[in-house]
Amino acid sequence: MTAAVEVRDLHFRYGDGTHALRGVGFSVAEGESVGLIGPNGAGKSTLLLHLNGLLPEAWRGEGSVRVGGVQVGPDTLHEVRRKVGLLFQDPNDQLFCPTVFEDVAFGPQQLGLPEAAVRERVARALAEAGTPGFEARAPHHLSVGEKRRVCLAGVLACDPSILVLDEPSSSLDPRGRRELKELLRQIAITKLIATHDLELVVELCSRVIVLDEGAVVAQGPTVEVLADEDLMLRHNLERPHILRHLHPH
Amino acid sequence: MHIPDGFLDSQTAVTAAALAVTGLGVALRRARLHLPPRRVPLLGLAAAFVFAAQMINFPVAGGTSGHLIGAVLAAVLLGPSAAVIVISAVLIVQCLMFADGGISALGANIFNMGVIGGVGGWAVYHVVSRLVKGLFGCVVAAGFAAWCSTVMASVACAGELASSHTVRWSVALPAMAGAHMLIGIGEGLITVLVLVAIARTRPELLQPEAAPEPRRSYGAIVAYGGLIALGLALFVSPLASRWPDGLDRTAELLGFKEKAVAPMVPAPMPDYEVPGFHWTTLGTSLAGAVGTIVVFALAWLLARALVPKGAAGPRGVP
Amino acid sequence: MRHDFLDRYSRLDSPIHRASAAVKLVVALALVVAVVLLPASRPMFLVAVAVVLVAVAVLSRVPWRFLVVRVLLLEPFVLGVAMLALFQSGGWRMFLFLVGKCTVCLMVMVLLSNTTPFSDLLRVLKRWRMPALLVTTLSLMYRYVFVLVDEAQRMGRARTSRTFTPRRSRAWRTIATVVSQLFIRSSERAERIYAAMCARGWR
Repeated sequence: MTAAVEVRDLHFRYGDGTHALRGVGFSVAEGESVGLIGPNGAGKSTLLLHLNGLLPEAWRGEGSVRVGGVQVGPDTLHEVRRKVGLLFQDPNDQLFCPTVFEDVAFGPQQLGLPEAAVRERVARALAEAGTPGFEARAPHHLSVGEKRRVCLAGVLACDPSILVLDEPSSSLDPRGRRELKELLRQIAITKLIATHDLELVVELCSRVIVLDEGAVVAQGPTVEVLADEDLMLRHNLERPHILRHLHPH
Repeated sequence: MHIPDGFLDSQTAVTAAALAVTGLGVALRRARLHLPPRRVPLLGLAAAFVFAAQMINFPVAGGTSGHLIGAVLAAVLLGPSAAVIVISAVLIVQCLMFADGGISALGANIFNMGVIGGVGGWAVYHVVSRLVKGLFGCVVAAGFAAWCSTVMASVACAGELASSHTVRWSVALPAMAGAHMLIGIGEGLITVLVLVAIARTRPELLQPEAAPEPRRSYGAIVAYGGLIALGLALFVSPLASRWPDGLDRTAELLGFKEKAVAPMVPAPMPDYEVPGFHWTTLGTSLAGAVGTIVVFALAWLLARALVPKGAAGPRGVP
Repeated sequence: MRHDFLDRYSRLDSPIHRASAAVKLVVALALVVAVVLLPASRPMFLVAVAVVLVAVAVLSRVPWRFLVVRVLLLEPFVLGVAMLALFQSGGWRMFLFLVGKCTVCLMVMVLLSNTTPFSDLLRVLKRWRMPALLVTTLSLMYRYVFVLVDEAQRMGRARTSRTFTPRRSRAWRTIATVVSQLFIRSSERAERIYAAMCARGWR
């Protein structure tokens, strides 16, 4: 079986010389939910952009990224972007249309679907994301939590087979966070979640990958990795409280 | 300078709208040809930026305040065609969302601020930044061009008001141009300070890729130059040469020529000027010429104070 | 602070709000053109239009105070130019007529903008074959105006909170810093939006 995501020896340097990725390698199996954790500046967001072929300068670089067996490159962009749904960190960047309907419809329209099918997909995606009937609303009139859900709807409307999420729970209040977790749990597709929210990782992901200074420093079953106090502290992370209850010393 | 509805007669409004549509059409065509896809969202964001920047007031003499137009700033950062699109978008949103600037005067406003202010201002910038080298030259050029663009746009605006018989040319020209010679100083100052700040923190935003439009395109020069010349020929030159006609026709139009209503407020300019010798146009032109020299000198001094000696220009050429 | 005040009332529910955006745009344009073409000898027509507009305003349920304030806020520009008309023979009549005409047009446009979301108007313009690039620019602008105005205000406040001795030269510097930062942030955001558009298959 081909892995949903397979990254091999990936290097990346930004134009200003920042060495963001130094030989990253890992894979995500079909149907798996994997957490991607690491301190700020570890290269998480850069890595996620690679999964969608959003850094054109990277194609000349070292390493390879395969999504569902397809090598990410200039010729496969369309196919890769159809497979991978990317949820960006700032919902304001992702909600770029004047109304919710137009925004969620953006992806399906780019796929060239007929209007009736687009409408149907938008309604379904909004319902899945927990914001049914939001079509006529304007993004600037939504709360942060609602914006995040509409973003998710926009991604789901493209019918991706892999969901890649960048800090999905940042700037949400506790209730928003809880609702988001519920929502993500219900979406039964392969997920790769980059986050600082370790409780979210514990609850949703069976496996985690720890990234620091552009390289994978550890990976394994969530509870094992997160319980390793030394490892966590070495990489400016900490053991989540939730695990203290699970494994009291 | 946003002309509201009701100040322009149908003839002027339609003429200006035709000029604006042509100018915007040329700009859109050039953007379609030369703007790489990754720069497309920047047009929308730059328009939102100009809108937000216009909401910030700056202090002008005597407790009043003015605000940025941003045409030259946009033209320097994004290129002339992008500037026309950006300023037009700002004006369309201001008109349809905030009723700021009339819908029947939208064409005139786009022509004045977008085409004349943006492309005209950019032309001044382009010429001066060729003559004076480096970042210093760019700063001098941008400050001077921002002032020129504001004043040029206001002269066109005065011309439209006068050819609509709303305000007499001899009143409109000195009032509009005079006020905007002052406001233009603020425009120039902000433009310069902003460009210097951007050059200091993110110099690559001033790089040539940022404005990918080919520098030398005779088609564009002919199209834009022709439009501006046509606009000035239609709105300004007939008034500059024979303004009394305008007044007569206003009186006729309002139907009080015979009644000869005496002005309630004594006119600051005498009504009986020597025919063929136009104090207003001449006086304003003279003031304009002096102002131009003074502003150029000011821009030079300001750039001297702000730009370190020998700083490389945005184009990397010395 | 939220900036939805910029288009707060355009999404109310009333017979006027429910009317099609295209119809409202055409009617508004027709009214403005009619008023603009009005000869000075027929001032009563202005009164008639104004009465109709007041009725529409009442029907629209937009708070009248808000409408009055919006019109008054825009009035200084009108008065400024109309004042120039005083400096010529017959100036008073011209002045009053101009102010009346412009105010009625302002009422039309203020009513249109507060009963029709800009996104609806945009859809009409798109249907009327406005070039795609301009439509994209306008819709991105409308979407991000709120974000940027908010950013500008936050930056302005952050500056003021650390400014202890306001001086004029400092004020200019502050404005320039805020404006330049605003541009830098907008261009960075444009990059991220481009990525988001591509991620959803934009070509």
